[in-house]
Amino acid sequence: MLADRSEAEDVTQETFLRAWKALPGWEPRAKFSTWLHRVALNLCYDRLRKRKESLPGDLPDHADTRLAPHDALDQVQRVTAIEVAIGALPERQSAALTLCALQGHSQAEAAEILEVSVEALESLLARARRTLRAQLLEGRTSS
Amino acid sequence: MTEDRLIELIEAWGADPSAFPEAERAGAKALLAAQPERFAHALGEARALDAAFACMPDIVPSPALTEALITSAPKPKAAAGGFRLPKFAPWAPASGFAALAAGLFMGVMMAPVASASSYTDEVETVLEQALGYDLAALTEELVQ
Repeated sequence: MLADRSEAEDVTQETFLRAWKALPGWEPRAKFSTWLHRVALNLCYDRLRKRKESLPGDLPDHADTRLAPHDALDQVQRVTAIEVAIGALPERQSAALTLCALQGHSQAEAAEILEVSVEALESLLARARRTLRAQLLEGRTSS
Repeated sequence: MTEDRLIELIEAWGADPSAFPEAERAGAKALLAAQPERFAHALGEARALDAAFACMPDIVPSPALTEALITSAPKPKAAAGGFRLPKFAPWAPASGFAALAAGLFMGVMMAPVASASSYTDEVETVLEQALGYDLAALTEELVQ
């Protein structure tokens, strides 16, 4: 979600520190891994909001995130394009896509982590994929 | 299962029907088999996105991060009285802890893992060992 290794390490450490503090009083109302993901997700949201607040007002409309044709594909560019496109999604759509399409969580797990219904999760995913389809695949067939 | 609903499923969950909600999976498969050409375009676009996600590389947390997490973990302490609640066991299952850290880190970094279910199972195992009791069994005991 953060697409920044240093920040991701910070968030991972902070998540575990909170886990260690919570463990002695832990009550098994939910799967611990679900709770852990929620903590990490909220920390990511905080970071993303701080990034937005610190960004200058005038940004380019959008970077060119179209994927190159496969035969001319540069893997680094391809991965970067996907990261940029996912990073530009609204945060809840980005989180839903990360949990389901990238991490492979089940619908129930992802919905529980995001604290939404499976129907709402589906809506988030559909909107995310629609945006990515337009950004990543647009013009691919004509190039 | 209607055609419109199947298009919605493909657009949300991707081209693989096994990713669709279980209750709608069989109906979706039947409709796909009956009218493959009707959904070819939607499936093609969904497959292209699925392939893009699949090309994302694995991200491995650094040894320094793993070490820092282990160091920050609570140390084992004796259980009080006869009740067997929080009794921290040593962090013996290094592979499980690595899965716990790696899975979460990869989620934060946004990279795929092969099997989230095996990962979460392993996470639960690690946490159960850390807590010193079986979460599911304890829940059943408390309910009874």
